[in-house]
Amino acid sequence: MNCDGSAILSAQGLVKSYWLGTTQVPVLRGVNLDLARGEFLAILGASGSGKSTLLHILGGLDRPDKGRVLFNGNDISSFTARQLNDYRNRRVGFVFQFYHLLDELDVLENVYLPAMIGKGLVGWLTHKRTAVQRALELIDQVGLGHRIHHRPWQLSGGERQRVAIARALMNKPDLLLADEPTGNLDWATGQGILALFGALHRSGQTIVMVTHDQRVASQATRTVFLADGQVQPGHTNPSSSNNSKIG
Amino acid sequence: MYRWVLALRYLVSRRVTLIAVLVVALCVFVVFVVMTVMNGLVGQFKERTHSFVGDCVVATESMVGFPYYDRFMDVLRSEPMVDSVSPVIRTYGLVALAGRQDAVGIEIMGIEPNSHFTVTGLGQGLHLHRDDPQTAFCSQADPNIPGCILGIDLVLNRDSSGEYDYRWLPLKATYDISCFPLTARGALERIGTGYVNTKRFGFSDVSHTGLAREDGGLIYVHFDQLQGLCGMSRPPARATAIHIRFKPKVSLQHGTRQVEGLWDRFAKDCQGMPQADLLGLVRVQDWKTYRKSTIAPMEKEQIAMIVMFILVATTAVSIVLVVFYMIVSSKTRDIGILKAVGESFWGVIGLVVNFALLIGLVSAFLGVLAGWLFLRYINQIEGWLFARFGFQLWDRTIFSIGQIPNQIQMGVVAVIVMCALLVCLTGCLLPAIRAARTQPVDTLRASPI
Repeated sequence: MNCDGSAILSAQGLVKSYWLGTTQVPVLRGVNLDLARGEFLAILGASGSGKSTLLHILGGLDRPDKGRVLFNGNDISSFTARQLNDYRNRRVGFVFQFYHLLDELDVLENVYLPAMIGKGLVGWLTHKRTAVQRALELIDQVGLGHRIHHRPWQLSGGERQRVAIARALMNKPDLLLADEPTGNLDWATGQGILALFGALHRSGQTIVMVTHDQRVASQATRTVFLADGQVQPGHTNPSSSNNSKIG
Repeated sequence: MYRWVLALRYLVSRRVTLIAVLVVALCVFVVFVVMTVMNGLVGQFKERTHSFVGDCVVATESMVGFPYYDRFMDVLRSEPMVDSVSPVIRTYGLVALAGRQDAVGIEIMGIEPNSHFTVTGLGQGLHLHRDDPQTAFCSQADPNIPGCILGIDLVLNRDSSGEYDYRWLPLKATYDISCFPLTARGALERIGTGYVNTKRFGFSDVSHTGLAREDGGLIYVHFDQLQGLCGMSRPPARATAIHIRFKPKVSLQHGTRQVEGLWDRFAKDCQGMPQADLLGLVRVQDWKTYRKSTIAPMEKEQIAMIVMFILVATTAVSIVLVVFYMIVSSKTRDIGILKAVGESFWGVIGLVVNFALLIGLVSAFLGVLAGWLFLRYINQIEGWLFARFGFQLWDRTIFSIGQIPNQIQMGVVAVIVMCALLVCLTGCLLPAIRAARTQPVDTLRASPI
């Protein structure tokens, strides 16, 4: 663990509800959460407890009804559209349960996609070489060096999730957010993915992972429970496994 | 740049985009072919009209004509912008084969071959005197009587390929042409014992201008002959028009304005002279204005065609819009992913617009290529259709059209390609905005909660 104690992310009084038809369903009822730099936090909760909603709000994909999220002391709800895009692109890396890769791009292109966002022709020509180099390293590190020109539909679930992790790391984000990263995988494959997260954490990557699985959450250095729309007192896990290095 | 790559992948991987490509390509093909043919026909018609008239005409609508035309021609000849001038009389009369009573009404034009064939391209349309237009009014049958040139459709029929069989030229024919002389006040003038002046002319040639009205209803005789027949040769002699050809670098508008100024001064100088009131009826017009009654219907057809194409374009826009809506609807997850990794509102718009531009470019290329091939072989295709099924786009026995015009104008191609791109851009606009407004969380989460 490489936690330096300074808060990289802080959620304060987050409230969020959804309308299902005419019924308002409260999901988050004043969530408070602090995340230290270099920490590997697991948010554990039952299905429908609002874990994903919380993660989306932390990642700037959704907005809370009330409350605020501070990233390095800055309230992301006050970000301009440009700053928010930059936050999603460079500060945060997202790993989704269903991988969410672009079927029209191959593995290599999917991985270096975040580096190409917002680049014009000149930016493309200037950065492509570096981006491809970085993407190849990441693909190699997630063990898919032999699959760079395969399309997502030609890969297994575990391989797709590895590509998604490589993509999330492409711009060296301060924060890696993972939404049930093993939820769609068998146990053995999921263990491989968790091993990757462990290695990332040891190399200093700050990670927030939501899961409903206690065994998965135990891989993190700290776990908090989300129930009734609020964070319940958590605990610190003794260690995480795997020694492979990545990032 | 990745947007172009992704747009290209969408183009080749989505079958529904083929529908958009085919629709736009088909529209481009139709518009390209029809515009090329129509522009060719209108251009051909204008060119023939210009060739028939010259650059500028000083004319009166009145059959009485106007005096002092010869003096004004001298004024014009002294102008450096004027290349050549020619006096003309255009009137109506009766014509009958010599010795027969079945006279028919006809329009008669009196011209001086030496000057008129320099001012206009009429000499190029002669069959027997194309290389020697000065002898155009020498009768074929009898050198002792004056000759006349007949509009070709008066004596020959076109065959199904639009060609004339010149073996049937009436070389020995003579015609009695009757005119009705008018006084300077417009009343019928008694000549001898009657009001009709008749003279015999021998057939000298046919004129093929490519203009239906002229080729089917006009007889040309020498200016002096017609002036005598119409009683316009007595001093001050009269003509109904002066046709003018400008020097090559003189613009039509500038030249016509200059002639107008000269005419106004000339008419003023002639005030108080006999029959000078007739000069007030004279108008100076460039050839387009002079012939607007014949050109306007063609131009109206062109406008109608453009309106029709706007409807075609609207249909294409609608189809492209529907196709884009389908594509964007099926790609909301991708858009969500792109926004999740930091793509902006305008970045997503750019992606959809790039996609639309690619569809437009590919469609325009395919449409223009198909149109070019079709136009290149359009006459062969029509020939084959005629030989096989007896179908002709224009019945050549009726219409004065030879080959279907298929000259490709790069300006037309450029406009059509731009329109195709515009159609695609217009069609993609709403779906693009819809895509850009997509909230990533709406498309990426597994369940609402």
